[in-house]
Amino acid sequence: MKISTIQSKYKKLFIILFWISIWEIFALIINREIYLPSPFATIKSLYELLFIKETYITILYSSYRTICGFLISCIIGITLGYFCGINEFMYDLFNPLISVMRTVPVMSIIIIALMWFKDTDVPIFVAFLMCFPLIWTNTVAGIKNTDIKILQMCKVYNIKKMRIIKSVYLYSALPYIKAGMFSALGIGWKVTSAAEVLSLPKYSIGGFLYDSKVYLEIPDLFAWTIIIVILSFLFEKILKVIFNIGVSHD
Amino acid sequence: MIELKNVSKTYDNLQVLKNFNIKFEDNMITCLFGPSGVGKTTIANIVAKLIAVESGSVISLENAVFSYVFQEPRLLEWYCVYDNIDFVLKDVYAPEKRKIIINNYIDMVELTDYKDYKPRALSGGMAQRVSLARAFAYPSNVLIMDEPFKGLDMKLKQEMISSFKKLFNESKRTVLFITHDIDEAILLSDTIYIIKDRPAEVVKTINKDSYAQIDEIKKELLTF
Repeated sequence: MKISTIQSKYKKLFIILFWISIWEIFALIINREIYLPSPFATIKSLYELLFIKETYITILYSSYRTICGFLISCIIGITLGYFCGINEFMYDLFNPLISVMRTVPVMSIIIIALMWFKDTDVPIFVAFLMCFPLIWTNTVAGIKNTDIKILQMCKVYNIKKMRIIKSVYLYSALPYIKAGMFSALGIGWKVTSAAEVLSLPKYSIGGFLYDSKVYLEIPDLFAWTIIIVILSFLFEKILKVIFNIGVSHD
Repeated sequence: MIELKNVSKTYDNLQVLKNFNIKFEDNMITCLFGPSGVGKTTIANIVAKLIAVESGSVISLENAVFSYVFQEPRLLEWYCVYDNIDFVLKDVYAPEKRKIIINNYIDMVELTDYKDYKPRALSGGMAQRVSLARAFAYPSNVLIMDEPFKGLDMKLKQEMISSFKKLFNESKRTVLFITHDIDEAILLSDTIYIIKDRPAEVVKTINKDSYAQIDEIKKELLTF
């Protein structure tokens, strides 16, 4: 192993330990588990959760809801973003809607969704509404930034429209779409959990968060939060791997 | 023959062409020589149908098919050399024929060892040679070259010129060549149109026959 890799690993370990120490110091100062549980109490709760079958079923269901909302946002956001990027009228038509979607508070959306959908679909709908504007905006920006000189070259060489879409627009917009997808995935986890807290579908991380609050099991609340953070990182890594596979097979 | 008759073109309030007339002979290399900003690229873009004229007419070859070597290579950064040429040929030839043509032109511009490289790994001269190979590989009958050697050092320029000559001799077509380099103009063209002023105007036409008096021509061109 290279010295720089070892140094980098030690550095990461030091940073993690540093912030856990800060957390521990604050927990000791406050000394009330109900306000801030210690890292030890949180890890103990997390450890206990790992041996309950329901934990894994809950993770699966919450992941399913997040991924559904995220994928629907990607499909509609990229497709609509593409057409809005190349057509000024389409952009003017959809831009006000997207601007409103960007500014509407997530709680308003969740409450409205509660009236429209059944409890298990609410998080999917909310995740979609929160992720979609991000992906749409990035796709539009990517399409609009396509090099006009390359498009001129395509015109000279009579390249068919479908091939321009696939080989020019899509590749030009790809870095923007990627950035939008990574941001949307992170936000997707946050809003799915928030929507689950209010809609309380069966098997949901949000449901456990709600129970932790009701029964004042704050270490459990922290443990589930850690699980959400880990899942978010994990899915981000998976998305990176998917993109890398895409690049290597190109 | 391609002919522009009484063509006018204005950008915002800037009149670049006013009742402009010019002719390009078939299978000849015609050079538009003149300082920057007189409208040479505008003329080329009108010929290539990339921009429309306000008035006047453009008489083009029947079934004119264009290829263009731009000032900058205009390659797709995400494709390798081979795929950049393949990109313009996909709708034209069957896969097997395409493979032969692409490899042939890559060999001719001496980039055989670089055909799997992406543009960012190539030097400016190499990238421009890919652009030249792409233009010749495409079955056009009109080739437009807008200052294709601009910004290249002497060695690269010579490499490009020799690649161009080789390709042109293999596959003749009507060439519109834009430059403001006297030596390039004399070396490559059959006819040189000297363009001056704004709105653009052809102030002199020099044919290959008079290239014998090369020094006098050079002196004359320097005055424009």
